[in-house]
Amino acid sequence: MIEVDPITFEVIKQRLWQINDEQSVAIRTISSSPIVVEGNDFNVGLFTADGRLTTAGIGSLVHVGTMSVVVKNVLNRAERLNDGDVYLINDPFLGALHQNDVVLVSPFFVDGEIVLWIGNVLHHPDVGGTDVGSFCINARTLYQDPPRYFLKLCDQGSLNAEVEHTFSTNSRLPDMVALDLKAQLGAIHAAKERLRSLVDECGVALVSAVANRSIETASIQFQTLLKSLPNGVWSTKTVMDGARVGDDALHYVKCQLVKEDDRLTFDFTGSSPQVDAAVNCTYHATFAGTVVPLYSFLCQGDIDWNDGLVDHVDVIAPEGTVVNASFPAPVSICTIGMRWLVTVAATRVVADMLQASSSHRDRVCPSWNVAANCNNVFGLTADGKRFGTLLSDHRGGGAGARSFADGFSHAGQITSFASSLGNVESAEWKAPILYLFRKRLIDSAGAGKYRGGLTAMTAVIPRNSGHVQLNATNTAGTIYSNAFGLNGGYPGVGSQALIVRGVDLDSIFEAATTLETFHDLGGSPSFLNSKASESLSANDALVFFAPGGGGYGDPLDRDPDLVVEDVRFNRVSTVCAKQLYGVVLNESNDLDVSATADERESIRKKRMQRQSATSVLKNSESRTLICETCHDAVSLANAHAAIFPPKKASPWAALKSGGDCEHMGVLELSCPKCATLLSVEEVDILQCSFAGTERHE
Amino acid sequence: MRFLGVDTGGTFTDCVEVSPSGEIRMDKAFSTKEAPEKAILSVLEQMAASEQVTLGEYLSGIAAFSHGTTVSTNALIQRRGSRVGLLVTRGFEDVLEIARGPVGRVGGLPQSLAMDFLHTEPKAPIVQRTLVRGVDERIDADGSVVRAAAPDDIEEQVLSLIKAGAESIAVCLLWSFKNPTHELLIKHVVGQVAPDIPLCLSSEIAPRLGEFERTVTTSVNAFIGPITKQYIGSLARSLSSLGYQQPLYIMKASGGVTTPDRVFDEAVSVINSGPVGGIIASRYLGQELGETKLITADMGGTSFDVGLVIDGRFEEQTSPFLDQGLPISTPSVKIVTIGAGGGSIATTDGYRLRVGPQSAGSDPGPVCYGRGNLDPTVTDALVVMGFIDPQTFFGGRYPLNRELAAQSILERIGEPLGLDLYQAAAGIYQIVTSSMADLIRKITVEAGFDVRTFSLCCYGGATGLHCGEFAKDLGVQKIIIPYAAPVFSAYGVAIADTVYTATQSMPSLIEPTEAFVDSFNHCIEALLQKCVHALGEDFFDRSNVTVYFKLDVRYVGQMNEVALTWPGKITAQDIPRIVTLFEDAYRSRFGATAVRGKNPLELINIRLEAGEPKFKNALMPLPASPEQGAHQSTTRQIYHPKHQWIQVDVYDFSMIAPHVDIAGPAIVQRDATTIWVPTDCSVERDQFGNLIMRLQGESRDD
Repeated sequence: MIEVDPITFEVIKQRLWQINDEQSVAIRTISSSPIVVEGNDFNVGLFTADGRLTTAGIGSLVHVGTMSVVVKNVLNRAERLNDGDVYLINDPFLGALHQNDVVLVSPFFVDGEIVLWIGNVLHHPDVGGTDVGSFCINARTLYQDPPRYFLKLCDQGSLNAEVEHTFSTNSRLPDMVALDLKAQLGAIHAAKERLRSLVDECGVALVSAVANRSIETASIQFQTLLKSLPNGVWSTKTVMDGARVGDDALHYVKCQLVKEDDRLTFDFTGSSPQVDAAVNCTYHATFAGTVVPLYSFLCQGDIDWNDGLVDHVDVIAPEGTVVNASFPAPVSICTIGMRWLVTVAATRVVADMLQASSSHRDRVCPSWNVAANCNNVFGLTADGKRFGTLLSDHRGGGAGARSFADGFSHAGQITSFASSLGNVESAEWKAPILYLFRKRLIDSAGAGKYRGGLTAMTAVIPRNSGHVQLNATNTAGTIYSNAFGLNGGYPGVGSQALIVRGVDLDSIFEAATTLETFHDLGGSPSFLNSKASESLSANDALVFFAPGGGGYGDPLDRDPDLVVEDVRFNRVSTVCAKQLYGVVLNESNDLDVSATADERESIRKKRMQRQSATSVLKNSESRTLICETCHDAVSLANAHAAIFPPKKASPWAALKSGGDCEHMGVLELSCPKCATLLSVEEVDILQCSFAGTERHE
Repeated sequence: MRFLGVDTGGTFTDCVEVSPSGEIRMDKAFSTKEAPEKAILSVLEQMAASEQVTLGEYLSGIAAFSHGTTVSTNALIQRRGSRVGLLVTRGFEDVLEIARGPVGRVGGLPQSLAMDFLHTEPKAPIVQRTLVRGVDERIDADGSVVRAAAPDDIEEQVLSLIKAGAESIAVCLLWSFKNPTHELLIKHVVGQVAPDIPLCLSSEIAPRLGEFERTVTTSVNAFIGPITKQYIGSLARSLSSLGYQQPLYIMKASGGVTTPDRVFDEAVSVINSGPVGGIIASRYLGQELGETKLITADMGGTSFDVGLVIDGRFEEQTSPFLDQGLPISTPSVKIVTIGAGGGSIATTDGYRLRVGPQSAGSDPGPVCYGRGNLDPTVTDALVVMGFIDPQTFFGGRYPLNRELAAQSILERIGEPLGLDLYQAAAGIYQIVTSSMADLIRKITVEAGFDVRTFSLCCYGGATGLHCGEFAKDLGVQKIIIPYAAPVFSAYGVAIADTVYTATQSMPSLIEPTEAFVDSFNHCIEALLQKCVHALGEDFFDRSNVTVYFKLDVRYVGQMNEVALTWPGKITAQDIPRIVTLFEDAYRSRFGATAVRGKNPLELINIRLEAGEPKFKNALMPLPASPEQGAHQSTTRQIYHPKHQWIQVDVYDFSMIAPHVDIAGPAIVQRDATTIWVPTDCSVERDQFGNLIMRLQGESRDD
């Protein structure tokens, strides 16, 4: 390997970044899929000759961790590699996240040698399988999942038309996937042309050296950052309520992070056994899901997003569990199934680790749009044409509060800072549906000194259509929200889809003075399980919302003026202002200073009268909490504890079970000295005894 | 009669006067931030005084006074516009709050900042949430009325907005571009209950698919429309009272000027019009010099702006961001920008050296200004390397502190990276110069062209020291550094055409049916009518008027369109030509494998662009002084990244006669601007006073 000075290194590395970015531009321009163009659910990469990622694009971060696995599998399995070959792989057991994520990789040859690999991955809207949109919520085995491919799409530069045909004809949306394939090919073409001229200019040795050194540099930077963080152990658990249609059992992802010197070990031991449902992860998907918060909160814009951090991260996921399913487990929903929960869990423990370091607190964020409430709507238009679309509104969820400010509302996804909602008009132009409302959901954010971000509620109804099939594919959240708060902040609201049948448009318009929530649609809502398959008739409205973000810090410490502003701007109701924040407004919606002081004092008094956690929790683990007010360490056993029904956190929590839930409650832990909230958590009530708790307060 | 362009910038207000014979005069005055008019009058007085006439006499000899203003841009950036009341379809009152999710938060931010997930604070909203009302109405994707709007309800909402303090009203209802009846009903009701309140309808201002961008466009127009109109009205009155008898023209980001009577309706286009003047001037210069493909490059204190002019046309961006989180549906001339200017700050963590996007600006400015900034900038590197002479910068009025610059570069860049002072300074220079080359590559590749087939037109105070290097890097053969470079934007403003643009969305399948052809032609007719309505009944009878259309076309189902230039109405026989145009555009960018012939096409928008030139004179040769030869004034030692220390000749621009080749390495000094002529390159001054740099041969010195 030749020596490269730091200046030349930076210059060539930037060129490689731009060349790779041309792939993104091509994909956005050519793709016909809102999932790609608005959802940003694709990514692009350049790889070293041995298949290590050297430059990642700014698409979905979750693909950053898998693409190199695919390149390595092609290197191992292809009989012979030629200039101009393009491979198409969507097999989750060979590195694709799930079957929709079709990876194209192509070796870049100079003088008969592979110098780099060019690759991209894009979520295709349907690749077959039992269910529309290919999130196979009815699949029980891998053979009901969409087909898995390992194909040579281009042979020495010429497109294999039979392969292209076979791929697109297996889709319910053959024209869309054919264009998406064109987008991926166009991207590789664009990158290859420009790489060719870069190599002509600078020589192959230099380009190759920079590609390899980029990974080494990121690795050293990441190592340095890790060394500046405190050692420790943090653990958490995320919960899925229902793995397939007809299932409402709870399945868990457990995660323990051990940080020691320059190593991070994420141990998922204790997670549920693999299920006969397509939410399972392969090991590759679990690894990819785990490293997401490392890129977004540790690397940020400072350390290049490539395989440099891989050297410092171990992921332990026992085989036969939902986080490392054995062949032939179905996996087609993995990316919004267990992979999503893996990222949620990893985000939480990474936040705990950063919280433990005073100089990294500005990077703390405990949750970020913690469930993908994906709704696939497929069917026929009134004149008999096929349509199919994934509604984009699940990207409108909130992010957790930060240690210094409120969380972002409608934050998009932690896997991609550019994952956006589509326009209502674009959705209505693409599919025969009519939006009834898309509104910010009041009280959907976790309360805290800093409030979480809000989510939005959406209602759509078929319009001028034939049969419409709805496949509701929510990660989780109808019971447990997983929308963690931190440091005494409340969890955000979970996510839920529901159908209001027999909606009469004329009478709604006549009767309602506002269109804000499903209550304004009349009729009685039926709340769906997290995976549900339903028909929508012309009078059936689908209503759904993504999760809110968790709060940070005790809500009683929130500046009362900010609470008043939240009430005025429809973010917090007067009821929640009083119950959660202890803030009382007078009739003209101004702050009632003395009533607020009284209310806050009264809430603190009640907390002081609570019992210690030992008498509330059956099997409490030993844990230490930090009181930010007293600056004291409080052992879990000594903290004051009380359990409430989930609806205390938000009127939209656990709607499916009426805001109360026989097996889940919200546990408040407060400081025995000053009554400041230390932690607010969703807990399994069966693990608690209720003597003297305020459960029904 | 003479043409005058006055361009208000952050530091200077520039003025250019072009005589009928093409002769150019220019001057500058310090901008007066709070009252921009003051600086305009000062610079006009300077122009008059230099001719020894009164301001009144001077202005009475002006044929056209054109103005580039930052009043609207500043009002937007600082959120100092009107209190806007917004009417939307009921159920969608949160359209600006939800803001398509991250689009409203990180959209328009440089990527490196957007990647910093937790520090991407959204900016203050244009419309307060308490000033949004839902109207009980709904139109569907076909344009059919689902729920009819009722005048009573509208009146109630409008009055409620006014009661809540709205000073102007924006209206954006779903699908109003397809069926504007409900928005027109609102206009009617507002006309009755509040006839004086400024009103903007989305179906008039931005009739395009996509309610978020359309709402932003309409709301921003209502936000800065009143202040823009007031400012322009007051300027027009002042000029008129001083004796100026002709129309006042105002620069727009869409690449031309408009008049005060239309400035309220087009207020959103006045925002960010600043850099467009330079690209218009480049087009003119390109036409006069026979350059068909030009890249324009402008480096200032904080940013580096690049545009393209191809066969006299600008590239365009269809949904530009006006500010962080504010994408609009009014197209503008495409200018791409990065935070790479003289004040851009270099940083390192000991592993990587990066330059920008943070900038020390002009205040406190680079370290060498000695005004408190200690982070090394690009200018500091240039001073250390000897490219900038600390004694003659600013015409010698403020000598620069080389020692401070050197200390900062050594301590903050050199030592952490293990480089000596000069390697570190040269590193800053190389990285910023190569990021400029990257940006130029990006815009040309994405337009479907080979950068080596272009010439460069470089202006802006700091470009001259970088352009020779990035041109070599790109393989560009020729650089034009215009005579009017110091005031190039004002020059462009002076000679800009009157331009009118109008858009109509008509999402539909492109097919050779009577229905499609009819609705296409109907749309063309409607756009022409709009144009006549705006520019006068006789517009199309006037000579020199040009009109053409752009069709935004995509494969059915795609999310992004390709713009095709099209002359006008069609017959069924034209359909295959549209298909061919589309596929050609595709193939040139993404290769033949990306074309999918059997995929039907859909048309999303038809856009009209009408122009009327106001200045069409040839360039005027300058009286040459001196008559012949190039007089080298001095020599200087500089540190070059590749050649290390070299001694170069320094030439004074005013002492170079036309058509004398000066071989690089050399420096040409002109007032405050320095031009670096690299090894293997040469420069000459043409008869118009432009410097033409040629890069010899294909050979590269690395």
